Amino acid sequence: MKIGVLKENKQNEKRVALTPSIVKKIKKLGYDVSIERDAGVNSTFYNTAYEDSGAEIAAIDNVLKSDILLKINKPTQDEISKLSGNQTLISFFSPATNTESLQLCAKDKLNILSMDSVPRISRAQKMDALSSMANVAGSRAVIEAAHYFGRFFGGQITAAGKINPAKILIIGAGVAGLSAIGTATSLGAIVRAFDTRPEVKEQVESLGAQFLTVSLDEDGSSSDGYAKVMSKEFIAAEMDLFKEQARDVDIIITTALIPGKEAPKLITKEMVELMKPGSVIVDLASQQGGNCELCEKDNVAEYKGVKIIGFTDLPSRLPSQSSELYSNNLFHILDELTPNKDGILDINMDDDVIRGMTAVKDGSITYPPPKIEVSVTPKKPDEIAEPVIKADEKKSSVVPALISLALLFIVGAFAPASFMNHFTVFVLSCFVGYMVIWNVTASLHTPLMSVTNAVSSIIIIGAITQISTTDTISLVLSSVAIFIASINIFGGFAVTKRMLGMFKK
Amino acid sequence: MNFEILNMEVVRSLYIVSAVLFILTLGGLSNQETSRKGNLYGISAMLIAVIATLLGPQVSSNYGLLIILILLGGSIGLILSKKVQMTEMPELVAILHSLVGMAAVLVGLVNFINPTQEYLGIEKTIHSIEIYIGIFIGMVTFSGSIIAFGKLSGKLSGNPLMLPAKHYLNLIMIIAIIFFGHNFVTSGTIDSALVPLAIMLTISFFFGIHLVASIGGADMPVVVSMLNSYSGWAASATGFMLSNDLLIVVGALVGSSGAILSYIMCRAMNRSFISVIAGGFGTESSSAATASTDQGEVQAIDIDEFKNMITSSKKIAIIPGYGMAVAQAQFVVNEIINILKTKDIEVIFVIHPVAGRMPGHMNVLLAEAQIPYDIVYEMEEVNDDFGNIDLSIVIGANDIVNPSALEDPNSPIAGMPVIECWRGTYTVVMKRGMSTGYAGVENPLFFKDNTRMLFGDAKESLSQVLTLNN
Repeated sequence: MKIGVLKENKQNEKRVALTPSIVKKIKKLGYDVSIERDAGVNSTFYNTAYEDSGAEIAAIDNVLKSDILLKINKPTQDEISKLSGNQTLISFFSPATNTESLQLCAKDKLNILSMDSVPRISRAQKMDALSSMANVAGSRAVIEAAHYFGRFFGGQITAAGKINPAKILIIGAGVAGLSAIGTATSLGAIVRAFDTRPEVKEQVESLGAQFLTVSLDEDGSSSDGYAKVMSKEFIAAEMDLFKEQARDVDIIITTALIPGKEAPKLITKEMVELMKPGSVIVDLASQQGGNCELCEKDNVAEYKGVKIIGFTDLPSRLPSQSSELYSNNLFHILDELTPNKDGILDINMDDDVIRGMTAVKDGSITYPPPKIEVSVTPKKPDEIAEPVIKADEKKSSVVPALISLALLFIVGAFAPASFMNHFTVFVLSCFVGYMVIWNVTASLHTPLMSVTNAVSSIIIIGAITQISTTDTISLVLSSVAIFIASINIFGGFAVTKRMLGMFKK
Repeated sequence: MNFEILNMEVVRSLYIVSAVLFILTLGGLSNQETSRKGNLYGISAMLIAVIATLLGPQVSSNYGLLIILILLGGSIGLILSKKVQMTEMPELVAILHSLVGMAAVLVGLVNFINPTQEYLGIEKTIHSIEIYIGIFIGMVTFSGSIIAFGKLSGKLSGNPLMLPAKHYLNLIMIIAIIFFGHNFVTSGTIDSALVPLAIMLTISFFFGIHLVASIGGADMPVVVSMLNSYSGWAASATGFMLSNDLLIVVGALVGSSGAILSYIMCRAMNRSFISVIAGGFGTESSSAATASTDQGEVQAIDIDEFKNMITSSKKIAIIPGYGMAVAQAQFVVNEIINILKTKDIEVIFVIHPVAGRMPGHMNVLLAEAQIPYDIVYEMEEVNDDFGNIDLSIVIGANDIVNPSALEDPNSPIAGMPVIECWRGTYTVVMKRGMSTGYAGVENPLFFKDNTRMLFGDAKESLSQVLTLNN
């Protein structure tokens, strides 16, 4: 089957759905790839690079005839009108809010796979383009903030005076939030992060940020992988916290977003007024109305000296990186969709991930998919495995000591002197052996065994003392004993020597 | 002809020299630098002991036969030691153990039918017990080692033999042995004692077989070191029987050495010695093994990605298992680390105590491939430092890197110390397929976010990595 990649026609969009390195991998799945001319130019992937990796460069009309079409942004109505037959389109689609387009797609035998409907289960992480784009957006948000913020991020003490480090508050520690934390801390800023889900505390702290929380005990985790809506009391406490922080921090980055729903208003006009002039707010939720009341979509608003950035194209501002990640996600999806690697697309509706993505199948709408539980539900503390108890727990050594003492007493009471001499030697030797062997390094345990093997053939002494006999049976038996013990002595020492010779520094 | 040059006192003092040298032999193995000297001490100790005995009063004839036997056996031993592959070391050690066991049986029998000394009263009883115990231990060592050899060399199945009521079977055999021991000691004449002795020989022969046959393949390191211990006790028992202190001392040294190794191996698997001896791995808790459900999906990579991961790492830990030795991949690994050295990438090896088929086996296999021993570390030395390791490469190992040993109290390998490679940045597991390890336990490591699977023959894959230079 043939895969076609369309040039993105949305304004300011610089990304491309497929990069040359992934073209190679997709060809291995058995597909032919056709790329619209200049589709990757804005993300520095040129036509020649695609040709080198085995794709054909074609005009848009030819590309549109492909069996499978790949895109990033949701299709325009014009594009949808050009789809026909049993073509398959894979792109962002937002089937929840984009109902009009969804209706238009319910024609012929069309299949629509929506990239933003990949279920948030761990198996599907490699296909989750929302996450990979959020990662880029989070990082870029910090860079945008730095661009509009008139100061350094890192603190310094210079000859000209002290430079205070910037203080950054990041609201929401999802993929974008964590990425922003990482970028901001590496630029030297003091970073605080807030999230309603207490289990992300560890991740936040591992990136070097401080985790903020409200004193109310309420868990914002839910089974679909996003934070849930919190109680009134909680929201009030949360707003107090933000107000307090607004006075102190220089930059706020908000990432509170639930797909398909309007973004919660977290930063009020009042809070913006509390911020120092020159401060910056980056609102990553501006696509869905913004977390900040004053946010303007795709624009930089300014209110009393505070700049509020509402760009929605942050991933596109790092086009090469975003394209690379998006194509990787696409590749993993195609890999799932092509179980036999024969270039034949198989939309298997029994597969949770594929079922979740499929908005239209054979011309009929299949959205919304049945709900599936996210497998990464956080463990309740009581489920965490108890430390496994080791079998060799220290046992009281008193009882064995008493038993040994008693045994020794019995032996001493009955045994003759000659036996006691040997017995003394025996017990002391056991202890010498015990002390010496513990010093043997573990890497020499095999040579130790082969040498002790040779050494235990000291039994040959016994056989030697028996050979000076006239009794035939005894002679034969002791001869055999000497013979086999010699095999052991020579073999054991020689193989030990050979092994030890191999150990080199 | 008679060479009785030394009297018994001189022989005894030479035995003391020999015993001291034997202790130094074991002491020498405490590190690689002194180990070669240690082996030389061992050889000289043996030489002194044998020559002193030959020239002492206890040997008065048959010198020629004796020398011929020693030379004949010696040459066979030397040929064996030259021909053995390092992967076959456990088999060699096992078969050599059986020879010690057999020698102990033979010496015991000779002492029984042709006593050199007359004993009376309690001394006679003790002497009889010594003979009986010596022959018993020797026989168990002999037959047990033969089975161990068969299992290790693949001639017998590695699966534990599961006879019904096997614990009772063992118990009955031990009771029978004690019963006939009583008969043996109380019977007045050699002829009447011969019957219980013969019965005991037969029972202990089967006892040894059953003991080792019922132990599973994964527990072989314990078995080999246990038999090592037995061969020592057999020598010690013979020493009691012959009133020879040198044999007692040396036997005790070897016996405790084997016992300690068994203990170390058991600890490395978090299993008690009794449970290893009593039965096969996972037989008691196999029902819990399948408890884990959906684990997510493994992330497979190809050679090119693997090469990229290697070259973009600063510090790499290689975790070898016995699978690496079977694939004979250690030589390729050595070539790779030489290339990586030129690229300033640090490579270390991390060895789990039970990797391989006998204690320390993995180290010998790496040494054979000329991998310097100072980059080979023990599990405990590295486990806390995985945070600094960019890439762990697991070659032919499974259970020893299984996180469920720490995380899942129901796992059959729960509590076993494992190499915690998942704490590093990335782990690449080289594996033929998704089969489970010896213990039959699923390995959650494969499903971790920072784990990548490289399927295929380890040696072949690694050979392809070799081209990363160009």
